[in-house]
Amino acid sequence: MRAVLVLCFIFWGSHIYSQNKETLYDFNDLPQSLMLNPGAKVGFKKHIGIPFLSQIHLNAGFRGASLFDVFGDDGRDINEKIETTLNTLTSNDYVTLTQQLEIANFGWESKRNEDVYFSAGIYQELDVIGFFPKDFAVLAYQGNRDFINVPFRFSTINASGELLMVYHFGYNKRVNKKFTFGARAKLYSSIIHARSARNTGTFTTVETPQGRNIYQHIVSNADVELRTSGYASLRDLEEETGSDQVKNAVNKLIGRALLGGNLGVGVDVGFTHNINDQLSVTGSVNDLGVVFYTNDVETYRARGNYIFEGFETPIQFSGEESQNFIDELEEAIPLDTLSNTYVNMRPMKLNGSIRYSFNQYDDGRCYYCIEGEDPPYLDAVGFQVFTQFRPNRPQYAASLFYYKRLFHFLRTKVTYTVDDFSPYNLGFLVSTHINKFNFYLSANNVFEYTNLAKARGASVQLGFNIIM
Amino acid sequence: MKTKKIVRLLCLFCIALMSISCVKDLDFDQVEDVVLTPIFEVDFIFSRFETDEFVDPGIDPSIVIPEVVVRDTLDYDLLATDFIVDNLEQIELTFEFRNTIQRAFEFDFGFLNDADQIVGPAFSFTAAAGNGPGTEPVITTEVIVLDSATIDVLGGARRLISSIRVQNVNSGLEGVLELRSKGTYFINYEL
Repeated sequence: MRAVLVLCFIFWGSHIYSQNKETLYDFNDLPQSLMLNPGAKVGFKKHIGIPFLSQIHLNAGFRGASLFDVFGDDGRDINEKIETTLNTLTSNDYVTLTQQLEIANFGWESKRNEDVYFSAGIYQELDVIGFFPKDFAVLAYQGNRDFINVPFRFSTINASGELLMVYHFGYNKRVNKKFTFGARAKLYSSIIHARSARNTGTFTTVETPQGRNIYQHIVSNADVELRTSGYASLRDLEEETGSDQVKNAVNKLIGRALLGGNLGVGVDVGFTHNINDQLSVTGSVNDLGVVFYTNDVETYRARGNYIFEGFETPIQFSGEESQNFIDELEEAIPLDTLSNTYVNMRPMKLNGSIRYSFNQYDDGRCYYCIEGEDPPYLDAVGFQVFTQFRPNRPQYAASLFYYKRLFHFLRTKVTYTVDDFSPYNLGFLVSTHINKFNFYLSANNVFEYTNLAKARGASVQLGFNIIM
Repeated sequence: MKTKKIVRLLCLFCIALMSISCVKDLDFDQVEDVVLTPIFEVDFIFSRFETDEFVDPGIDPSIVIPEVVVRDTLDYDLLATDFIVDNLEQIELTFEFRNTIQRAFEFDFGFLNDADQIVGPAFSFTAAAGNGPGTEPVITTEVIVLDSATIDVLGGARRLISSIRVQNVNSGLEGVLELRSKGTYFINYEL
């Protein structure tokens, strides 16, 4: 219990952000920008990511509070701080955690058509979001005495988590100097998934001055559901012991990662439109897809209505069996375990940007003429927007950015982002290109790094590529 | 040569970023001090009697029955979980009687264990007599407080036993006796 509480607050407090990669988006020096916009401009002929190291991405955050709010060493009583935090948070606040690891990422220019670039790869993704279950947190922390006649809403219970592998293949086509588009087909193999959303109903303690007893405790129109896949068989493994248990669990998980899990399909599409030499517009849709959960599925569902008024006693001449509260409750709101298959949308993301480039490189030596390309612009400024669809409501972010090519081997981008977590989020990306070897590092919420405890979110990406 | 310098600079930059990124001024030991103190109000028992449940209305009103007792037992083991015994600090039971019958009633209740023996204290109070049918009911309120030592003892309770007793009744007596009650549970849960 204690560990869970600490973990919750660490997740909530230490980091923040949705899956927004504002620094990587439209950063066309890196092949990873193709993962955000398959229609990005490609300026290289081949790339290969260093396996397992081409992109390490961690992105976590909490909307509503920080770690410091609760665990700050400020001499105040922790219970007082929890209560204050509890009162500040709403059921629209949430914790998110996204982690991605590219296992392979490579691409090549088509031999038949140099305007076509193919890319492919595999990455693993962990994506968790939990909305703050405000009503039931209050019920657990304060009880119902101060909330007589106030409904506690089951709709505040809202969370999902998934671990999956993604196999992808992308096609990028430069139609002409003005227009590039692309698409990426994705095959998802879900390893484990759980989701509880769109719950309905309320629990209310109602004062009944004219009733049979002082209160009525009413569960009204409850419909609470937790869908899981990939969990039941792991739970069954618990019966085994020792090394067999671990071995079987690992084998199962690897099998699911290798397309043995619940499969899904999806697509990314995107484009770049150069309005003129210096001004361009881009847009992309990521993870427009579904996963079909058909194997190892267990859904737990409780539905019904129940009113508790206490126990009727002493009574005489009733002739009825005495009531059993637990049996009555279970009958009124049965907990069913179902194995119905289900389908779930992937959390779709939208990106868009407008970019103005300036300060064209020209040292008079016409270095780039040999390649038949225009010299690059060394600077660019622009505006980006991001939306991600989540169980409760979409998350939004908007960024201003400044791109600077300092030397041939050093390219950078700075972003200023306003989003759910913070109104002053500064991010940066540094990408080194030494011969064919590339290393990049990006982080956001830079101001907060001096004390992550007070941060409400942070995101880090780094990786190594060979780019030719 | 120049390249190497840049790489070194970059490495320095990364190390600098990592070293300034830290979690300051936090004290996770405070978790030890977290205490959950919710207070729950839950209905306890209720009952409603009309006089014809004590006395057959067909009996000659001149016959006075010296005493009528209604006894009941009920399965009740809500206090028997470890969580409750360990973390329940206090229970306040509030009883409210509304009486229009012109007799006082004596109400008793207590708890029985597996072997049907009384555990913990037995409680008894009197609901004041009412003023007859059609009048405002006379309200008697009683509060009993169970402290944590008593709650420990009641961990062995499996059944609730209660009785209502009234004296000198006849079939001419009219009115209603209502019993309503609630428990206020003070939890003190240290993580």
